[in-house]
Amino acid sequence: MTATILVRYDEIGLKGKNRRFFIDKLRGNIRARMGGFQEVRVDAPHGRVFLECAADDADEIAQRLQRVPGIASLSVGRTVEPDFDEMARLGTAWITPRLQEGRGLTFRVRTRRADKTFPGTSMDIDREVGGRILEGLREKGLEVSLGKPDFTLEIEIGAQRTVMFSQRIPGLGGLPVGSAGDALGLLSGGIDSPVAMFQIMRRGCRVHAVFFDNQPFMGRGGYDKVVRLCRLLGRYQEGARLFVVPFEDIQVAIRDHCRPANRVVLYRRMMYRIAQSIAQRHRCLALVTGESLGQVASQTLENLDAVSRVVAGSVFRPLIGLDKQEIIRQARSIGAYEISIEPHPDCCSVFMPNRPATRARIPELEDDETRYPWAALMEEALDRMETLAPAPL
Amino acid sequence: MIYLDNAATTRMDPEVIDAMTRSMREDFANSGAVYQLGLNAKRRIQDAQAQIARCLRLPAPYQIIFTSGGSESNNLFIKGMCFPERKTAYLELEHPSVTTALESLKEFGNPPFSLLKHQTDGRFDLEAVKVLREHRVRLLCLGHVNNETGVVQDIPAIAAALREGSPQTQLFVDGVQAAGKWDYTPGFWEGVAGYSLSAHKFNGPKGIGLLIYESRLNPRPQIHGGRQQYGVRSGTLPVPLIVGLAKALEVSTSRGAKVRAQLQALRRRLVDGLREMQRNDPHFKLTFNSLPDAEATHQSPAIVNFSFPPVEGEVILHHLEKNEIFVGLGSACSAYSKEPSRILRGIGRTVEEALCSLRVSFDGNNTLQDVDAFLQEFRQAYTALYPVYHRKAAHP
Repeated sequence: MTATILVRYDEIGLKGKNRRFFIDKLRGNIRARMGGFQEVRVDAPHGRVFLECAADDADEIAQRLQRVPGIASLSVGRTVEPDFDEMARLGTAWITPRLQEGRGLTFRVRTRRADKTFPGTSMDIDREVGGRILEGLREKGLEVSLGKPDFTLEIEIGAQRTVMFSQRIPGLGGLPVGSAGDALGLLSGGIDSPVAMFQIMRRGCRVHAVFFDNQPFMGRGGYDKVVRLCRLLGRYQEGARLFVVPFEDIQVAIRDHCRPANRVVLYRRMMYRIAQSIAQRHRCLALVTGESLGQVASQTLENLDAVSRVVAGSVFRPLIGLDKQEIIRQARSIGAYEISIEPHPDCCSVFMPNRPATRARIPELEDDETRYPWAALMEEALDRMETLAPAPL
Repeated sequence: MIYLDNAATTRMDPEVIDAMTRSMREDFANSGAVYQLGLNAKRRIQDAQAQIARCLRLPAPYQIIFTSGGSESNNLFIKGMCFPERKTAYLELEHPSVTTALESLKEFGNPPFSLLKHQTDGRFDLEAVKVLREHRVRLLCLGHVNNETGVVQDIPAIAAALREGSPQTQLFVDGVQAAGKWDYTPGFWEGVAGYSLSAHKFNGPKGIGLLIYESRLNPRPQIHGGRQQYGVRSGTLPVPLIVGLAKALEVSTSRGAKVRAQLQALRRRLVDGLREMQRNDPHFKLTFNSLPDAEATHQSPAIVNFSFPPVEGEVILHHLEKNEIFVGLGSACSAYSKEPSRILRGIGRTVEEALCSLRVSFDGNNTLQDVDAFLQEFRQAYTALYPVYHRKAAHP
């Protein structure tokens, strides 16, 4: 037996002439998620994407679709002939098991008629099908309620097919990944950066990640953690890469040669520079960071300004105005929180100043940067960079 | 790969793996079932118990309960005997599964009495026995071999002193770091009310431990269920794990004397090597947190803990890791907490000394070459890192 999954996308629907491009992206992304299932047909007639699959696979496929950006909602149902009797038979079959002895059930039928050539108004169809169902089940306690029914049977009549279903499962919304191009996220292993990357993914970007690693001082814990975070984010996007940049030499140089209070901002300026260089090589048009204004010493207005100045391209900071609680809520909802909170320190105490500057002054930073060969160290770090393609979790 | 973190856990002995593999294939039946297959499984457990009693030279009136490991054994005895109001005491230098189990009784108005003032180098002062009597302490909890420093408590002497000076105080000993290496005698058990051990510390499997206690005691169960093991610890018995524990204990007992001599040699090599490094490098400020020259009655040769400020232990650890040498940072349970070790602070080390320390721990698989390789890489890492820390100290 086959099931039909009906996928709705509301935001793409608003697009104008390039709408076909977005829909094709979405359809491609959906297809790419169907690995492991047999014979899933995906097509996209006007306004909807339909999947035909084995009925046994439908629930699992629906779960995967809930993680595909660009989908507003979806429904698992069946394709039927546009015939009132057949529709009523299927509706009766769905409702009957819900009618328990002695306890009533209220229901309604709601029709959407995309194919306006279909005879009758939507309400006529509601009445025709609803009436037939009611006739057979009234004695078992079925009643009609247009207000708040226990069960809503929906019928969608399109030019090519008619689909019946009874539930709407919310999707992620947003736009299909890849429709906006590629970006590069600075991933630390903390709570914020994966949430920031996810938000930009939802707006249609494929977001690659860069991690600044300091294994000789910190061990492999951080590395393993970002690999897992990337695998998790791989549930929502395809083909993203993880760049791991060895950072210990740069940190040691800054530590040894620059003003202690400026260290953290200087580390971050180097991270931005390196990230931008990777972004250029891999055609990423923006950097994505998890910074949130005022959250820590390095994220004051002055310090954010001081790091932004070293790069020419766009820096997206989707969390800039969010509270920590809200960020945590989002981290939980994408499944990153449990990975992010695994205990692993993000900076070795050797490199931390006793009193980090909250308002670093740019001329001072620039002076600090004449004291160590940052350009050469950056080239070296990029040469030693490792590129991974973590498999989705 | 050189593995020098055997106090955290050990690799399994091939003989143990074989015995367990066989048991997993054959002894699948529930040992509580009354048909022949179940009785066979029960028989295996009884054989294992007999073997364990032999290896530990356990006199007859002791109960052996299988648990999931050292932490559960410690919790079961402490909570089972003292909840809610029997007075307890500890040195505060025990493993967290002892200290936090005791401290959990605070909630019921029964905080453990600390004897931290009554110890030298982490060893219990016999003088403290009168304090125990004054405070009407009913259970004294000690670690047989300290998990971070390897310092040994003189259990028979403490038991004798309690009998003499505070007969109401029972003695519970966390033997997790001792078992498999310690040479037990029948006399050892006199005056020991309870004793715990864990198989994975002596080349056995993880997930199985023992609680041994005087059979006239009745610890209250912490896990209720099908009343297995006299109702003290319910749950279907994991026959292959039990077989593995018994086998590991048998193997370590049969090799006991040879391994103890080997551990002494390893410890000697390491202590001498570190001292030589200190002679050659005026910056290298070496402090032993273990007793580097003490006899086995005072110090386990399997553990050497030492400090070397200002370089942090964790950073050295990661440098050694790059060369596939694995060492410990004190108790694995607190290795992530980033707080200086409570044990090292307790025996009087500064915060810096506590953070700048490592624990090297051996088992019978280690060789003198392992120690030499460690010394060489440690010296290299220390020499490379010292300037980084030295400068940090110079302009903060």
